[in-house]
Amino acid sequence: MIYSDWLDYLPQLLEGLRTSLALAGASLAVGFPIGLLLALGVASPLRPLSGVCIVLVEAGRAVPALVFLQLAYYGLPSIGLTLASFVAGTVGLGWITAAYSSEIFRGGIASVPQGQREASVALGVSAFDTYRTIIIPQGLRVALPALLGLAIQIFQGTALAFTIALPELLSAAYGIGNQTFRFLSVLTLAGLLYVAIVIPAGILVRSLEVRMGRHLAPEYR
Amino acid sequence: MTHKDAEETDVAPASSVSPLPARADPIVRLTGITKQYGRDAVVDGVSLEVAEGNVLAIVGPSGAGKSTLLRCVNLLERPDHGRIEVHGHAVNAGEPTSERQVAALRRSTGMVFQSFNLFPHLTVLENVSFAQRRVLGRSRQEADSRSRELLARVGLSDKSDTYPQRCSGGQQQRAAIARALALDPKVMLFDEPTSALDPELGLEVLTVMRELANDGMTMIVVSHEMHFAESVADEVAVMADAKVIEQGDPKEIFKNPSHTRTRQFLRAIVER
Amino acid sequence: METYWYILAGLPTTLALSVLAFAIGAVAGIPLMLARRSSLLLLRAPARVVIDLSRAIPPIVWLFIIFFGLAETGLKFTPFQAAVIGLGVVSSAYLAEAYRGGLMAIDKLQWEAGHALGLSQRDNFQYVLAPQAFRVALPTMATFAIALLKDTSLTYTIGVNEILFRANSEAQVGSASSLAILAFAGALYALLSIPTAMVTRRLDAAMRSKVAQ
Repeated sequence: MIYSDWLDYLPQLLEGLRTSLALAGASLAVGFPIGLLLALGVASPLRPLSGVCIVLVEAGRAVPALVFLQLAYYGLPSIGLTLASFVAGTVGLGWITAAYSSEIFRGGIASVPQGQREASVALGVSAFDTYRTIIIPQGLRVALPALLGLAIQIFQGTALAFTIALPELLSAAYGIGNQTFRFLSVLTLAGLLYVAIVIPAGILVRSLEVRMGRHLAPEYR
Repeated sequence: MTHKDAEETDVAPASSVSPLPARADPIVRLTGITKQYGRDAVVDGVSLEVAEGNVLAIVGPSGAGKSTLLRCVNLLERPDHGRIEVHGHAVNAGEPTSERQVAALRRSTGMVFQSFNLFPHLTVLENVSFAQRRVLGRSRQEADSRSRELLARVGLSDKSDTYPQRCSGGQQQRAAIARALALDPKVMLFDEPTSALDPELGLEVLTVMRELANDGMTMIVVSHEMHFAESVADEVAVMADAKVIEQGDPKEIFKNPSHTRTRQFLRAIVER
Repeated sequence: METYWYILAGLPTTLALSVLAFAIGAVAGIPLMLARRSSLLLLRAPARVVIDLSRAIPPIVWLFIIFFGLAETGLKFTPFQAAVIGLGVVSSAYLAEAYRGGLMAIDKLQWEAGHALGLSQRDNFQYVLAPQAFRVALPTMATFAIALLKDTSLTYTIGVNEILFRANSEAQVGSASSLAILAFAGALYALLSIPTAMVTRRLDAAMRSKVAQ
């Protein structure tokens, strides 16, 4: 029936899945640090800096991921920059990650009570140190569940790299479908492989949220 | 109740903008402090002096500008007009001041907040050691041993390795006091330290503050605790509508207030 | 220059896709949400599975399944039809969760207040809770609408003649300007979504004030 050949498809699909995960990992590794910098840049009192950062963030959130991937892969050669699929994919998804995560970081940082900033400053700690040791560590803790949720979405987004010739999960499934003309079967299996990653990850994130809700005690009693 | 009287010593400035005369000077002097939000003056032309070793209590109805005034002393708020002098460091409103000048002034002060503001991701001990290491550059051993001294002094030795969330409000505030004391400030500023605490826990904190005063610390306390003001403060300033309307010996003022507004305010307290 | 007009001419299709898929999702999301909240396990479990699967599988994979996969079983859809169905399925799941979130956000006391007044379960739901839940869910729904608009770009992979499809076909012809062409397409999507995002932010603030949370 529909699943009779699944065992045959599995090795190739798992290969593709590995590539998908690798692309997701690379995009997050590039995107999160840039996102944090963008979050700090947006809040900066230096007008030109915050302006540039705001544009980068808003563009990243307003333009479809697919367009970013295509710009990186098909568009950049116009100005002499030819990137391999994986690199182009990382650039495209990385920008998206940076843009969305910057908003999450901003929320996390803003959630640190103003009073702590004041206490640190009153103690004579420099603004830089205050950020580094008091505000950012706590802000990151608050932002963590949302960042993990974003990570899951980025993983789903790797399916789009199909259009820029990356041999990830969806393209592996499509390739098999083309050969066997049994699209429904292989696509369903591919879908289930996505589910096998996304749903457990989602459950982990939710339990993390619950656990953290208890640790981050509400303001002092 | 004993306080060291203001001694006739030269206040030796670490750095100063203007040379000081040889006579005893108040360790804190505010001159003509005005702070505006929009068109409203929250603090309007206030001048105050506090001699070394003295305790000044600032009382008055809510919204009178007491907290804002206090926060001007360590420059958490920048006044629009006036001059602030703390332990020889002077800052004039309107003139540009470097980070270094501000930091130097702040190092002479320690502040305790209404909402404690302990750092929740550090233990009590780490909270007290934090600024010692980062601002004064002390080593971990130095800082921790000083922290333990201070925590013992405020009665929190058994809580050093606990996180703030697991401490009562009174314990947290005492830890906050230890944290501020760890930098050896010359002046301690208290912004409604017990307002967020129920009476029992508040008493713990007031006891620590009383001992601090007895040991000769210069303190400026903004508070609703009238009994504390009367029994511990050397001087009381009554603020209403952004101005200081009355100032002097606490016993005098509470018994015979000369200003009608003060009378109003005190009556409301008694009738509660 | 004609290139750009050609791409722009894909706008109606993009909008049509978004509106239709959203409409399907808004309507189908209601029974889905009710089933998810039902006290009957027989309804609750399948609803949960449907919602979770629909959200876990990437939308582009759904499009492929419906267009390429179902064709084998004789259900041959046109690209546009498959796109509407695929995005509609995804929308139903997301909007069902948005509705659910809205209901959960309403203070328990509101339920009780309605009961105390003697309102029937159904009336309570219809006149007290649903309107408030809807208001809370509105910003989430608006955010989703923007995401949906962007996801219509995926449909070019199954041959729907919308903005990105046209941009791609134009970009092949003269590769020197493919950067400009793709950037134009991107800007087009951005222009569509930014005003909506601003409205969403305003909605968010306004709605919260009218709801007991």
